[in-house]
Amino acid sequence: MKKIVTCLSLLFLGLLAIITVFPFIYMILAGLMTYSEATSIPPTIIPASFQWENYAEVFTKAPFLRYFINTVFVSAVTTIATLITAVLAAFALTSLEFKHKGLVIALMISLLMVPYESIIFTNYNTIARMGLLNTYSALIIPFLTSIFYIYYLNGYLKSISNTFYKAAKIDGASDLAYIRRILIPMSKPALVTVGILTFISSWNSFLWPLLVTNEKKYRLLNNGLAAFTTESGSDVHLQMAAATLTVIPILIIYLIFRKEIIKGVAKDGIKG
Amino acid sequence: MFKKNYNPENQPKAWLFLLPSLVIIFLFSVYPLFRSLIMSFQKGTLINQRYAGIENYQKVLTDPVFFKALRNTALFAFTVVPIALILSLAIAWIIFEKVKHKSFFETIFFMPYVTSTIAIGIVFRYFFNGSYGIINYLLSLVGIAPVNWLDNVNMSMTTLIIFGVWTSLAFNIIILLAGMRNIDQEHYKIAKMFGANNWEIFRRITFPQLIPTFAFLLTVNIIAAFKVYTQVYALFGGQPGIAKSATTAVYYIYDKFHIAGRPGIAMAATVILFVIILLVTFVQNKILKKVGE
Repeated sequence: MKKIVTCLSLLFLGLLAIITVFPFIYMILAGLMTYSEATSIPPTIIPASFQWENYAEVFTKAPFLRYFINTVFVSAVTTIATLITAVLAAFALTSLEFKHKGLVIALMISLLMVPYESIIFTNYNTIARMGLLNTYSALIIPFLTSIFYIYYLNGYLKSISNTFYKAAKIDGASDLAYIRRILIPMSKPALVTVGILTFISSWNSFLWPLLVTNEKKYRLLNNGLAAFTTESGSDVHLQMAAATLTVIPILIIYLIFRKEIIKGVAKDGIKG
Repeated sequence: MFKKNYNPENQPKAWLFLLPSLVIIFLFSVYPLFRSLIMSFQKGTLINQRYAGIENYQKVLTDPVFFKALRNTALFAFTVVPIALILSLAIAWIIFEKVKHKSFFETIFFMPYVTSTIAIGIVFRYFFNGSYGIINYLLSLVGIAPVNWLDNVNMSMTTLIIFGVWTSLAFNIIILLAGMRNIDQEHYKIAKMFGANNWEIFRRITFPQLIPTFAFLLTVNIIAAFKVYTQVYALFGGQPGIAKSATTAVYYIYDKFHIAGRPGIAMAATVILFVIILLVTFVQNKILKKVGE
């Protein structure tokens, strides 16, 4: 009886694992098929020969290289800026005492509960009035900091004893020197997690770039991909190649840093 | 000068470190909240707005499209969240109890969380295709007639829900596994010593200890489900389903704001959605507290 239950559970687990990875694997395979292979019934599993020229065709039909560079640039700047602003803010909230500190923390916690979708349209308005529509600034400025990660780092830095700060002060270190030489090295694991997750969510953002950019020049990969799908109509093999281009870089980052990512998410329940 | 007033209890320089973050937070989180509220009482275009009283709210609340969007959103939330939670609980428990290579399965099941919903939505669109999609092919193997997943008014919500469940498993599984690992191993040792079987252990130890994790997941999932947008966009190629059959609340807001150019109406709908999310979260927390007792 127990054996049967174990067998059935493992079968169930295996089936769901296949359902989870299959879309990724088939996306890559279908991106290397000819059109007739990709739309045949019964479906082709392995293409007769890998059609690498699908990728060449994708690059000529839409400026995916440009989208790619845009995405890397925007995600990298957002990540670095978020790390800097969040570390500075979390330092102030943990190491320093000041009036209204409780108020600042309470404000941040209540803002965490505001759904992003309810302010995004007004932010569009703000960016429009700043005259920043269709610029890199529009894609970056609202994400120069993250309330969630300030809160996250605040929790992490609290575990570093304040005696380090006092000792550094007695040795005559400035605040910035303390942050650079002691705080950052000691909180490296948390910073790596914050950095990777910020990068990934920036890479996958969709609604905001869709709102503030409509010129091809400033499109990010996701928006370029969505537009390409509409324009390319029924060329599914090309769509799959384009989707692969969008997903592969993140999958590689994920496979390298999976431990840090999973640990970070599991620890504090980060929901992008 | 300032040195004389030095007081370790109050260091105003803290504001200097907070400044970069606070500027962005005020400009892009606090201000828009109030601005949305004000705009919901105004009419006209973005450049030319004038006071309109509660006209926008009246319009939204009498708009059948808005109610359809709300109905779809609620249907999505109240089917995807429970189905995904039960499936994730089963998966997490099997990984936790029966599998040796835990991190291998963790890595696989977490993949959808980090990858772009748009890209995977396009892959699902291909799988759901009526004439050459792999899903209809698999169904035909077991003798089920082909289903028109994408271009049928009555099917689009089902299709969206299937995709929604697929995308929300990843986060749930990882959080549930973390919750299971946090349960004191002593409980299990003692239970096994007294000869409890797996099902009893699950029902008496694992599940009760997981209730806080469950409550957290329920809240986060419901909020996320009420904001569903990108999944619809990807699955139906930029349309809210055929004949707007899978339109959702955020889709409605986007449409009014960006396409129809009626920011006042969009903001009134935003405020209503926000209040609904708060209410649902509140009621659900009340119920969970009752159940917890």
